[in-house]
Amino acid sequence: MRAGTILSPLSFIVILIVWEVIARAGLVSPLVLPAPSRIWDGLVILFTANWFAQHVWYTMAETLIGFFVGGIAAIALGILMVNQRLFKEVAYPYVVAFQVMPKVVLAPIFITWFGFGMESKIVMAIAISFFPVVINTVVGLESVEENEVLLMRSLVASRSQIFWKLAWPTALPSIFAGLKTSLTLALIGALVAEFVTAKEGLGTLITTFSFELKVYLVFAVIVVVSVLGLVLYGIMEVLERKIVFWRRSRFTG
Amino acid sequence: MVANAGAIAVSGVSKVFPNGFEALRSVSIDIRRGEFVSFVGPSGCGKSTLLKLIGGLLDPSTGDIAVAGQKVTGPRRDVGVMFQTSVLFPWRTVLENVLLPIEVFGQDRAAAAEKARGILSMVGLTGREDAYPRQLSGGMQQRAALSRVLITDPPIILMDEPFGALDEFTRERMNLELLRIWSERGQTIIFVTHSINEAVFLSDRIVVMDTQPGRVVSVVDVPLARPRSIETMKSPDFARKAFEVREYLGVAR
Repeated sequence: MRAGTILSPLSFIVILIVWEVIARAGLVSPLVLPAPSRIWDGLVILFTANWFAQHVWYTMAETLIGFFVGGIAAIALGILMVNQRLFKEVAYPYVVAFQVMPKVVLAPIFITWFGFGMESKIVMAIAISFFPVVINTVVGLESVEENEVLLMRSLVASRSQIFWKLAWPTALPSIFAGLKTSLTLALIGALVAEFVTAKEGLGTLITTFSFELKVYLVFAVIVVVSVLGLVLYGIMEVLERKIVFWRRSRFTG
Repeated sequence: MVANAGAIAVSGVSKVFPNGFEALRSVSIDIRRGEFVSFVGPSGCGKSTLLKLIGGLLDPSTGDIAVAGQKVTGPRRDVGVMFQTSVLFPWRTVLENVLLPIEVFGQDRAAAAEKARGILSMVGLTGREDAYPRQLSGGMQQRAALSRVLITDPPIILMDEPFGALDEFTRERMNLELLRIWSERGQTIIFVTHSINEAVFLSDRIVVMDTQPGRVVSVVDVPLARPRSIETMKSPDFARKAFEVREYLGVAR
């Protein structure tokens, strides 16, 4: 076993202990930084409360719907841009411009357009997770090598055969990298939109508990959000390893 | 029609690329059915360009190319092409790569699988059918690429420096195997190389080419007895032929 695999979790425990000691000694106000044990109490409160599950479900639904709708639309747009030169020339500058823009500024507008409910959060999740996938789809599809195209042409392959047997699998590793980023971004989008105005969701809980100065509960929700983010990322990693199993070979030759 | 299947006629072919580069100037060659012909010359002599023109992967600027008595207007399924790199798809096993042309042609994959296994055993890849390309050495990858050409039994095979990236020993072994396969099946083979010895060893005729502009400087007959072996390379006739080709390239300079 390597030293890092022991030291990394060990350091986490040390940090928690130091944090606990500092908090108990009264060096920091619990309104600023609650002790880990207090955050644990908060987690217990959340998971025993009958209203908590529906907030988790709400935020997850916004994230996943936004991710799937945005992801599929982004891949479709990427494919369209690669296959229609003129369309790409016209549309690509917009994609790049939107990519650079900090999309959180759109959250208040989406709420006025789509209401206080789930819809505005889904739209925000789509907006923030869309562009990395578009760009990675385009880059992936364009990374097909000349000899590979010549091989397919020498077989008199049709356009759709060249796409499905060559371009699509070539692009998959890049598309997956984009999807991994965008799933995390979708969660951010849903939460930010909930911060602005919402009736339900984990973002709402964070703002509500902040106003009530229940900082230990805020931290407990942050822990839950972080774990959800990790789980979503982990699922994507597993899927990636299964679906684009050849990925490493392209770099090691 | 059947009489000239596998025959190739190149008449007055020139190729100027859109950037103004004159890759080939008025080339005319007739290649008989079942003949083994090499194109030899330094980089930039247009040998690969000429091969792509014959394969219908490029269009000539002037002149005509006919395969089996028909004017070449694009790639043809009775012409197999092999490149310097194996161009195996990393997401496909060796067997799946070999079956790619069958899929593209829309033929029965199950029926061809048996044949593919037979070809793979002939080129010495028994037991590697389910391996992925990255698990194979460079020589094995080119054997798989050769199998992919052979699966559709093309009467004409175009080879663009197919063993150029391999080490000397592997290259000699591949050359012997290629000659054995050719003697059994009698395809018309055009073999591009910059190795004079390789060209003399393999060919019935050598088309000697030079640069600026790319052109044919001579066509050399190689009447060495067949079947040829490594012993052939020791014969004075072999050395004389190699010297003759070398002189054409020297004189042209």
